[in-house]
Amino acid sequence: MAKPKTNTEDYLRMYRQMVRIRTFEDNANQLYLSAKMPGLTHMYSGEEAVAVGICEALTPDDKITSTHRGHGHCVAKGAAFKEMFCELLGKEEGYCRGKGGSMHIADQSNGNLGANAIVGGSMGIATGSAFTAKLLGKQDVTVCFFGDGATAQGLWYEVMNMAALWKLPVIYACENNGYSEYTRTDEIAAGSITARAEAFGIEAHQVDGQDVLAVNELTQKLVERCRKGEGPFFMELMTYRYHGHHVGDINREYYRSKDEEQDWKQNRDPIIRFRAWLVEQGIASEDEIEAMNAEIKTDAADAVAYAEAAPYPDVSEVDMHVFTDIKHATA
Amino acid sequence: MREITLSQAVNEALAEEMRRDETVFIMGEDVAEAGTPFKVLSGLVEEFGTSRVVDTPIAEPGFVGIAVGAAMTGTRPVVDLMFGDFLYLVMDQLCNQAAKQHYMSGGKLKVPMVLRTNLGATRRSAAQHSQSLHALVAHIPGVKVAMPSSAYEAKGLMKTAIRDDNPVVIFEDKLMYNDKAPVPEEEYLIPFGKAEVLREGSDITLIGTSSMVQVCQKAAETLAGEGISAEVIDPRTLVPLDEATLLASARKTSRVIVVDEGHQSYGITGEIAGRINEKAFYHLDAPVLRMGAMDVPVPFSPALEDITVPSPEAVVEKARKLVAGELIHAA
Amino acid sequence: MPLDVIMPALGMAQDTGHIVAWHKSPGEAVAEGDVLFEVETDKATMEVEAQGAGYLTDVAAEAGSDVPVGQVIARISDTAEGSGDAGEAAPAPPSAPESESDDLPEGHGVIMPTLGMAQDTGLLVGWLKELGDAVGEDDILFEVETDKSTAEVPAGASGYLAAQLAQPGEEVPVGQVIAILTAEAPDKTVSRSAGEAPKAAAPAPAEKAEAAPKPAQTRSEEPATRAPQPAPAQAGRILASPKARRLALEQGLDLSRLAEAGYPQPYHAKDIETLKSLPDPQAQAAASGAALQLTATAQGAEQAAFLHWAEAEGSAPLAQDALWAAFACAALREATGAEGPLAVEVSAARGASHAVIDADLAPISALESVEPEGAPSLRLRDLTASRITGLRLGAPDCPALTVMAEGETLTITLDFTAAQLSEAAAISLLTGFAARLEDPLRQLL
Repeated sequence: MAKPKTNTEDYLRMYRQMVRIRTFEDNANQLYLSAKMPGLTHMYSGEEAVAVGICEALTPDDKITSTHRGHGHCVAKGAAFKEMFCELLGKEEGYCRGKGGSMHIADQSNGNLGANAIVGGSMGIATGSAFTAKLLGKQDVTVCFFGDGATAQGLWYEVMNMAALWKLPVIYACENNGYSEYTRTDEIAAGSITARAEAFGIEAHQVDGQDVLAVNELTQKLVERCRKGEGPFFMELMTYRYHGHHVGDINREYYRSKDEEQDWKQNRDPIIRFRAWLVEQGIASEDEIEAMNAEIKTDAADAVAYAEAAPYPDVSEVDMHVFTDIKHATA
Repeated sequence: MREITLSQAVNEALAEEMRRDETVFIMGEDVAEAGTPFKVLSGLVEEFGTSRVVDTPIAEPGFVGIAVGAAMTGTRPVVDLMFGDFLYLVMDQLCNQAAKQHYMSGGKLKVPMVLRTNLGATRRSAAQHSQSLHALVAHIPGVKVAMPSSAYEAKGLMKTAIRDDNPVVIFEDKLMYNDKAPVPEEEYLIPFGKAEVLREGSDITLIGTSSMVQVCQKAAETLAGEGISAEVIDPRTLVPLDEATLLASARKTSRVIVVDEGHQSYGITGEIAGRINEKAFYHLDAPVLRMGAMDVPVPFSPALEDITVPSPEAVVEKARKLVAGELIHAA
Repeated sequence: MPLDVIMPALGMAQDTGHIVAWHKSPGEAVAEGDVLFEVETDKATMEVEAQGAGYLTDVAAEAGSDVPVGQVIARISDTAEGSGDAGEAAPAPPSAPESESDDLPEGHGVIMPTLGMAQDTGLLVGWLKELGDAVGEDDILFEVETDKSTAEVPAGASGYLAAQLAQPGEEVPVGQVIAILTAEAPDKTVSRSAGEAPKAAAPAPAEKAEAAPKPAQTRSEEPATRAPQPAPAQAGRILASPKARRLALEQGLDLSRLAEAGYPQPYHAKDIETLKSLPDPQAQAAASGAALQLTATAQGAEQAAFLHWAEAEGSAPLAQDALWAAFACAALREATGAEGPLAVEVSAARGASHAVIDADLAPISALESVEPEGAPSLRLRDLTASRITGLRLGAPDCPALTVMAEGETLTITLDFTAAQLSEAAAISLLTGFAARLEDPLRQLL
């Protein structure tokens, strides 16, 4: 475990945010399994310490770009359950008025520049966001979340090159969960991933993505240095996804074993580890933690019930928001 | 009124908008000291510096992606894509990212970005530097498409594009960069979605875009000598399209030829002809004809290249037949 | 509160899951995360875990059954007894296929046929035989609709219709047995849905027939086996622009007359002028066509008295022919709705004829006669002074009214052709004229 912080509230909020992500995903999974959710979804369960460790080091003005596996980033950047579940079910009150769904869910007002369903598709956007900060002399930093699979996209090398040339305040955060969709990462990635960033002269770090304090501490340092114009940076966060590539990917023993999954769940779970540390440090009692878990569970259940009862967008919205200034694009 | 070249008109538009709004910047390959291969941007870096006239590596998806992200976070980038042919390289950033952010976010994110590029064959540049690919972009909901046909339009449309909150792609005809036209000294903007009737007529309507406007004008001149009164209309923007003006003219003259330099198949000519067919059918006295570029890659040899693009003579010949009431393509 | 155990959605395009085995028995204690049952889809087998702790109760689907995704198949309850109402919450689970066949009569199975190239199911439109009916091999047993067509399906074997294993309106997988024909008349018959568990004996045949949805009848009028109608022959088609067609339609012109007159196709808007200048064959045909005649009578006393009165009161004498011209003109305008000038040519048994224009629009005393010029709108013959009481002169060049007298009774005939007046207009004209003659004062005031 990394060096303990001193602010009890920060620790408890980090724990709470991780449990909120897990609880959100458990509910989302149930909505899918019970055929109440349109489409399918990619679960973030298991990777909570990455999103929370990073986003807890950011201010609401700092930006992130998210991915198809984006529920965790969305929660960690400050989103509320109600609007998230509404979006998941395609309801009008969702963050994207039901037009985005699971793969594009984002609370834009908290600096989330959207979840991108093209693998690696947001790397340009994140770098451009950092370009804005530099051009306009703003202090905000942008974190670009992407998976190990996205390191195979050429776009990353183009934008890293420019980010390094122009010293942009962007942190490329690679969530290496070991699998590129249905394929082991070592089958799709030659050489070292950190070395790729280093080739552009970008300082690269590898960190235990199951240790929320380690992630948070590293991010805080890098964010501060970005604000001073020392960016960009690269972080490879070693983590694990508990579910398949998406909720429909159930029979996955051909690419990874149940034993391996059990090992990560039982021995390296970020929530279990952090909870034990909180108790051990005397920051929270087991009872307090149980009470927090129960409260989050109730919140989620209420939000699900709310979203299930919420109205769909009016059909007249279908050609709205194509352009900013043309109310109905096909009228 | 003074006359300036299309290059100068674009340059003026950019300079004026950059002086007016400090969030406007230019980004692309060799845009700064080189001022682009066509010298359209010469002198801008001297006034605005390299922070706002940004030379990029040869990495089109990368810098277009950066422009998308910059636009989403408070700037107004004008991206320079050296040749229209390179659109294929940036399709994901343009069509999956820029075009869809506003819609996917339910209207919360916006991308006020301009992508400047060009079209036009007969520069003896062969198949990968001569294409007119505006139909590709016009096909994608969420992107506006402007097609200036003179220095006057190039300036007015560029200024409107920069102030528009949506992604706009402007196609300049690279053969017209040195063509002069009257351009007022005082500031003006040309609204999107307003076609211009360049010449009034009663027997036939010639609808031309960009490079083909001059072709239509020349054809109309010849036809006038034969007693045929041709109306010439320039839609100026393809998205949004001023359907009302085109339909009114079609109803008036009852005969229409649509001329565009994109490939004829599945292109702009077919789209406009289709709309006229749907909405002015009972006023048509002849089939609406499409005249696009031949459906072949652009060849190098002048002997071959010149015949791939509609000429004034070809337009005149078709117009004569329509007005004479000859049977066109009747089985 | 008990937790529902739901058949999960597992694959990307999956509607049902097959329960391979239960790993817990009803009433058994369950912890969150325990494997409850095993599901097989077309692609994969998966163990489904309990989402909470409690007792497995209300198991409503047995191993071996296929359950639609999203259906509640059990509960995890706080007590081992459960609620007992899961059966209500969830539709009855399908039984294993083996047990189904036991209840069915033995005989020839008729299957849902494959009709299209890429067809997985057929929609049973309706049964054309009722349960218990004797069926011949070639008798049409039922009607099936696929995405492309509707077809009547023959029995394929003789016997008695003992079981209908699908209901009208149901989609049935191709190859599935949907009817059973027995050699002997069946003691009991079976009727059930294609996806449903076996039911008791079918309701009375009469009820069954009523239950068949209406579309079955309408569809059966258009069997799929009928060949598509060939497109109408192109030979008679006139080539013309949409604008030319619209103008012709608006002006009641027939473009084919241009073709008959030898003008080359295609026709455009400018050809409409040519078409308008062609002689109207309809008018010609009508003019040489049959003469039509209507006859009416009216009492002449009133109008004679009126004329005397007018003569006594007025400054100038009122001519009978002027009065009649006014009546005829008014009746014609009323009958045809004509707005333009109407010329009535008036003639008597003796003497020259003269014409009056718009006799109904000016004071009668002020009417002026003009020389007849061309065909008038109406011809008016006053034969009251003659001994003629009837006439038939053939098709006139314009409608003609003839007034004859027999004592105080006036007989009025109207000669016309179909091209000149419609039947309704002719009746209106004659009626209007006769009424005015009979009661001139009312008409004038």
